Amino acid sequence: MDEQFIFSKQYRNILPILAAVSLVVFLLAVVLSGSGSARIWSNILLNNQFFLGISLGAAFFIAVHRVATSGWQTVIQRVPDAMTSFLPVAFILMLLIYFGMNDIYAWADSEVYEGLTGAKKIWLNIPFYFVRMVLYFAGWIFFIRMMKKNSESLTISSDLKYHNRRKIFAGLFLVFFGITVSASSWDWIMSLKPDWYSTIFGWYVLISMFVASLCFIILITWLLRRMGYLKVLRSDHVHDLAILLFAFSIFWAYQWFAQYLLIWYGHLPEETSYFIPRQHEFTLLFFLNLGINFIVPFFGLIRTSSKYNLNRVAAIAAMTLIGHWIDYWLLIMPETAGTKATIGLPEISMTLIYACGFIYIFFRTLSHGPLIVKNDPFLQESLNYES
Amino acid sequence: MPYRSQKKSIMDNKDYISVYFDDEDPMLQALRRLKENNLTIIDVLTPFPVHGIDKLLSVKRTRIPVGGFIFGALGGILAFWFMTWVFTVSYPLIIGGKPFFALPSFVPITFEMTVLFAGLSMAAGMFLRSKLKPDIRFKPADERITDNMFVIVIGSNANTTRESIRTVLSGISIIEIR
Amino acid sequence: MSIFQSSLRKPLIEGKKSYQEITSQILDPLVNKPIKLWYFAITLSGGAMLFGLLMMGWTIWQGIGTWGENRTVGWAFEISTFVWWIGIGHAGTFISAILLLFRQRWRNSINRSAEAMTLFAVICAALFPFIHLGRPLLTFFIFPYPNTRLLWVNFNSPLVWDVFAIATYFTISLVFWYVGLIPDIATLRDKLRKGLKKTVYNFLSFSWKGSARDWHRHEVTSIMLAAIATPLVLSVHSIVSMDFADSILPGWHTTIFPPYFVAGAIYSGFAMVLTLLIIARKLMNLEDFITVEHVESMNKILIATGSIVALAYITETFMSWYSGIEYEQYMLQNRMTGPYAWAYWIMIICNVGSAQLLWIKKLRRSLLFTFFISIVINIGMWFERFVIIVTSLHRDFLPSSWTMYKPTIVEYGLLIGTLGIFFTAFLLFIRVFPVISISEEKSILKTENALQVAKEIHHG
Repeated sequence: MDEQFIFSKQYRNILPILAAVSLVVFLLAVVLSGSGSARIWSNILLNNQFFLGISLGAAFFIAVHRVATSGWQTVIQRVPDAMTSFLPVAFILMLLIYFGMNDIYAWADSEVYEGLTGAKKIWLNIPFYFVRMVLYFAGWIFFIRMMKKNSESLTISSDLKYHNRRKIFAGLFLVFFGITVSASSWDWIMSLKPDWYSTIFGWYVLISMFVASLCFIILITWLLRRMGYLKVLRSDHVHDLAILLFAFSIFWAYQWFAQYLLIWYGHLPEETSYFIPRQHEFTLLFFLNLGINFIVPFFGLIRTSSKYNLNRVAAIAAMTLIGHWIDYWLLIMPETAGTKATIGLPEISMTLIYACGFIYIFFRTLSHGPLIVKNDPFLQESLNYES
Repeated sequence: MPYRSQKKSIMDNKDYISVYFDDEDPMLQALRRLKENNLTIIDVLTPFPVHGIDKLLSVKRTRIPVGGFIFGALGGILAFWFMTWVFTVSYPLIIGGKPFFALPSFVPITFEMTVLFAGLSMAAGMFLRSKLKPDIRFKPADERITDNMFVIVIGSNANTTRESIRTVLSGISIIEIR
Repeated sequence: MSIFQSSLRKPLIEGKKSYQEITSQILDPLVNKPIKLWYFAITLSGGAMLFGLLMMGWTIWQGIGTWGENRTVGWAFEISTFVWWIGIGHAGTFISAILLLFRQRWRNSINRSAEAMTLFAVICAALFPFIHLGRPLLTFFIFPYPNTRLLWVNFNSPLVWDVFAIATYFTISLVFWYVGLIPDIATLRDKLRKGLKKTVYNFLSFSWKGSARDWHRHEVTSIMLAAIATPLVLSVHSIVSMDFADSILPGWHTTIFPPYFVAGAIYSGFAMVLTLLIIARKLMNLEDFITVEHVESMNKILIATGSIVALAYITETFMSWYSGIEYEQYMLQNRMTGPYAWAYWIMIICNVGSAQLLWIKKLRRSLLFTFFISIVINIGMWFERFVIIVTSLHRDFLPSSWTMYKPTIVEYGLLIGTLGIFFTAFLLFIRVFPVISISEEKSILKTENALQVAKEIHHG
């Protein structure tokens, strides 16, 4: 109950070393393969989006449960809490994209820009792009900080007014998040192909984000159990996490199919130009995406007994997390790298760098404060949760 | 279960002892006590599903969901095969520029048929396995059960009588023993 | 056996009842004679229903020419009302299935009536495909049966997908509803004395006796039906949305339609549940079962789904502009400032304004405000379908085809008629079956009573 996560020296050393090694591998691989700066910046964008998504998905997880007055997740509350601490870092990393704009975005090139229609000229230009980016992150960081601050005050004082305040901020966050997560996906990912648009795009990315963060939450929960922490975790909590993974994987597949079916059926070249390269040049990855993100969680978690088994759920989560990385790859790489896009050493090593960084920041935040929240009005309910 | 085919209510049957409770907690207590004493419990009748009975009675998890999965898969395969046959073999037509084997188009109906078959088979499974059928001559064991009574039905023999049951369950609040 | 609950929660059943009180209070309106207001209400709705049936008969007799549709605007009132009713039906399945899977125990007192509402809404909706075919006697053409012309239905068409989707939806909802109803019919059977009523309920109760093994199968089957009904909710309204989204018309062909329609459906459905239950709980003395907490929870879902709908409006507005395609941009301009702009702005105010007001806790917990806003929301949702359909059709690619649409009295009659059918069916339902799931309420009684006791100790 009074568990305290200790960020052991072992991890504190291994993670930076692994990151440094990966960086060296990355640079060597990029230089040796002769691919230009486009590859570097594509990978930076891809991983920015993927890990930012995991962070934001965790914030969404917290906010939705707060607003729904849900209590079962209180036992593992600190896991998604700590995941959101990556946001400021993600902000800086996204700002760095400034130096790679020409390599990533077609519209950053002045010739292409002149060819755009009026509306796109107003929306897709470098100054406005970054102004919006600052606004998005400012809002996200602000609301999440406010939710966190009130949680911390609650831990110290057990005054319920902090609980009510964080509920209000959760609601405000959700409104702001709803609009900005869509808008940011249009800016950062959809505009990679400036002649194309899809109204469901923002929601598709949101769910991909959310499932990826659920996978991460499950994996961390598994890891913490393996390390001997979270002794109060019950199989009932695992069951609910598994149900969320199961349900939202199905929902992701539904959105994937809705977008695909409508564009396939309409048969309009300006829309199908999105799927043609992906389905015909990257066929394996295209269908692997669907397979890993839908078939695996669906059949892997359909039996009730599977959902109570943390090892099994964690295995499915690991596969699905990789699956959603592939999903992001398919969203970004075919545009930035074109037909040359591939998954090679640069991609894997860059992802490793980011993963090490993310986990380092996550563990550090997790070790500040009790592992199981104190004075939370739903804690007792969560400890006794039966599912 | 033997008494289900009988038209008379089990209350009339002298081979069964029925113990009545007005709350589920004493009933669960009694159930545990009776199990400890190795008494054969024929059935437990309650106004709503009570957590814990299944474990005490060693009720095996029903295989209805398995049946649902199998029939659902069957329905899906049937629907998909039929549409494929219609559009590629029976009467191929070019409609709206779509290919004959229009896989994405087939998905919605395949999905619906899967769900339909799965749902109907599970409901049918429930009715068949529990032997629930409309019967205007049906008489329940006791009309208070669906209201607020919890009843444990025990098989009676030379060793198990109403008095012996009463002694075994001493200390637990019982409404009556029939 | 009660579940531990945080002291922040409020009891879902008030009054510290006993099991017997639950049975008698819920069955009271069924066993006693109806109140005068019921007779008045059913006369009203029956009248509307009769008028609607008359208009339906007139349509079938005289033909579709009695409607206001023309070559440009081939779909208008009827398809709007059709989608509206299907949408309303989705709340029932959402409450029965999705809230069961999310373990929201507050659904127990509202799922029975919500599911019944779904069935009636789907029946109302299903009338439209029947009458708008022009030759309703040939309705069976929709189904793939072997025929001498060697023709099959067009499986490529969303309209055919609709047939299967709605048929499945109705069947599964009916089965799910009835499976849950059986133990309650048994309760009603046992409460009645001798007579025809008792015999009928005995027949309908399928010899339910309350055996533990039967309850086990019943619980598992209910959860499994809930599990398959959940994707059904998503798929049915998505397929309905594809009636429009699978076209290439601006305003129709937009990938957001499937989830947007589903969110809108749940939005209007919950509004209708609130409209009905706020009245029913008062008049049937069920306030202890359908508490202000239930109303507030439903309002929270209204906020969530209403916000998703608002987000969809923002997205469509942005994409219209961003796409740079003149047809998309004109479609939006026409909606906002064209001849049907009044409908568009009613839609925006009713759908967006209303849900956002519910962020205010006082309004969320006010029954009067909730009742009022639920009607506003349903009006707004009807207009949403009307706006989507008519504004995209009446002015599409060819300006020489542009025209206006004016509904006839027959069409108004059909809309009013379906409202009549719906409310008549619901009024009959509350006389015949228990409006609240008796066994499910009993299963949470201990927990709720314990919560009240704990609160009393805390405060007292």
